[in-house]
Amino acid sequence: MFKPTRMTRVAIAGTKELMGPVISVLHKLNMIHITDYNEETEDFKIGKPLKPASKLSEHLISLRGISNQLGIAEKEPKAKFQVKELPVQIDERITVIQREVASRFDELRSIEFKIKEKEDLISAVKPFMALPLSLDSYHGYDTIKVHAGYIGEDIETKLAKITRDYEIFDGEYEKRTVFALFIPRGFEEEIQKLLQELRSYVELKVPELKGNPPVILEELTKEVSSLKEKYLSIRTELDKIKSEYSEFIMAADEYLSMETQKAEAPLRFATSPNAFIIDGWVPSRRFNVLEQELQKSIGDQVYLTKLEEEVNEEEIPIELENPGPSKPFELLINTFATPKYREIDPASVIFITFPLFYAIMLGDVGYGIVVAAMAFVIKTKFKTGGLNALALILFLSGILSILLGVLYGEFFGFPLFNVEIKGELEHGILGIAGPSIAGFHFPIHRFESVQPLLLMCLIIGMLHVFLGLIIGFRNIKIEHDLKHAIFAKGSWMMILIGGVAAIAKLMPALMSRQPVPSGDPVFLGGVALAIIGIILLIKGEGFISILEIPTLLSNVLSYSRILAIGLSSAGIALAVNTLSMNLFIRPHGVLLGGGIGLALVGVVILFIGHLINLLLGILGPGLHSLRLQYVEFFTKFYEGGGKKYVPFGYIRKYTEE
Amino acid sequence: MDPTQAGMVAIGAGIAVGLSGIGAGMGEQAIGAAAVGAMAEDEKFFGKGLLMTVIPESIAIFGLVVALILLFVF
Repeated sequence: MFKPTRMTRVAIAGTKELMGPVISVLHKLNMIHITDYNEETEDFKIGKPLKPASKLSEHLISLRGISNQLGIAEKEPKAKFQVKELPVQIDERITVIQREVASRFDELRSIEFKIKEKEDLISAVKPFMALPLSLDSYHGYDTIKVHAGYIGEDIETKLAKITRDYEIFDGEYEKRTVFALFIPRGFEEEIQKLLQELRSYVELKVPELKGNPPVILEELTKEVSSLKEKYLSIRTELDKIKSEYSEFIMAADEYLSMETQKAEAPLRFATSPNAFIIDGWVPSRRFNVLEQELQKSIGDQVYLTKLEEEVNEEEIPIELENPGPSKPFELLINTFATPKYREIDPASVIFITFPLFYAIMLGDVGYGIVVAAMAFVIKTKFKTGGLNALALILFLSGILSILLGVLYGEFFGFPLFNVEIKGELEHGILGIAGPSIAGFHFPIHRFESVQPLLLMCLIIGMLHVFLGLIIGFRNIKIEHDLKHAIFAKGSWMMILIGGVAAIAKLMPALMSRQPVPSGDPVFLGGVALAIIGIILLIKGEGFISILEIPTLLSNVLSYSRILAIGLSSAGIALAVNTLSMNLFIRPHGVLLGGGIGLALVGVVILFIGHLINLLLGILGPGLHSLRLQYVEFFTKFYEGGGKKYVPFGYIRKYTEE
Repeated sequence: MDPTQAGMVAIGAGIAVGLSGIGAGMGEQAIGAAAVGAMAEDEKFFGKGLLMTVIPESIAIFGLVVALILLFVF
């Protein structure tokens, strides 16, 4: 908690024959973060991959190709494959599966092509259904030219000016006139000209087929449907292959990935003709495990040592270490930046502040329940990864929102408890008065208590920013020294405390148009403290840092968004409720006073309105709560820029030893 | 407070929120576009990008604070 895992730098050296076994042990332990060797010298070169690497990656490529074609997605395995049996199975099966899949896909492609061809023919034949001619009568003349097409105007009068020696057929297809003109070739030039001048003319190519259009059409349609059937049956076969082999393919993929990783590991080592050296980091508390395992599996021939020399802090890989509940919040930390080795890891702080801010903003029993339930479903569906972490964060935030919702007395924007507003009693859903906790009477009606809530938000902001400064103080003290810490962060703390004290006394006086409280010791003390802080700041960071002072004010004021987002969310809920209740469900104060139809409209408005508000209610509070962490809180102490700890190894999912 | 005065206060509050919102939006537009561009090149810029993007938002918050003071103090 609060600090990244302690790391120890280790070196492992041995003769080259031991490289394979050592790699196996390390890979199985999934513990060492290998530092890539990349400064070749005369004695030490970058290692060469182990022998099976090229064959393994070849297999892996064809396997990935198959799984891409079949569209195999990751899922929870039903049974695990034995690693011992996999190599033989892979050699046997991969070529077979590949052949089966490839031949079927080839067939699919050729069928697709044929279907396209036939469908093109069908659309070419269709217009000729309108004409009483067999398709062969359009072809094979020596002295006659055939023109066919759509036309939207009278053509015969114009033809008559050229010649009377022609025959024309016409008919209607899809509300357009289709015609076929048979005319001696001698008039070709004039006819071409005439047709070009006709705006409505669209040429039709006569398909080179024999027979009557209706008969041909029927045949073609039959052929297409039989092709489609064939296509579907091949698809079903592929689905069968997919369901039969998908687990095997996933397992083989896992096995091959692991073996490739091992085979390519020497590319990260320093090797001489006869020996190798691995440079890397392991979590300090697990160093013993590494030592024991190497001793047990390899023996004394391999040399393992801790390297104690000073290294650049940025070289040390970072693994965040947080207890279960705050673990998901590491996602938010890593999204921003991975901390440096000696920095505070703020995941455990965010574990409290993020859901708290979220809940103060959302604060509605109904929305809280929906958010928590949704998060719960996502959490059970995705057992690992970023989505799981996000769901856990959302779940916690939802639960807290329910709690805050009780304090605000809100259920989907409806009042939960009976409450008196401006002398009028508002009936709540539960029909009882709100709870009293430690002398406070709840619910706090948000619209009626804007001022105290605003004050509360600003106080929260001040505390949060101050906490950030404290952590920043600690970070700088460790990285540099106490003096630097006082100049860089202590000065800001003084300005913050002094400024807040002074403003707290000044504002009420200004608002009630009283003179400046120059005699008040708190006011004077605050001003003095702030001035000392400013002097320290200028001394430490230079005169230009004065420009930064207003940022502190805007940082604290920024927390008023907690109230603002909350009010807008509650406001939308209230508007939706009022609209649907007054206009549709209870017009004139009577249930269903406007009839069933209007009531239904009311229900739709209620549903859609709350759905939209719920979506906004997840996005808004989530992003703004995060922003307060990132912008207002983190900037006070967090630098980041650490390298993530990526141990050499693999977490098995589909296979077992 | 007579109704005219109350109306003026309400209009003033509205203008404070509205104009500061437009200002924040104008600032955010340019930064947001640049941040998305940076993220397209390297996803690690998400944190910094979000941080930069929301900086002008403070202007909107100032407007909001002014509006709240207008509404609840006067």
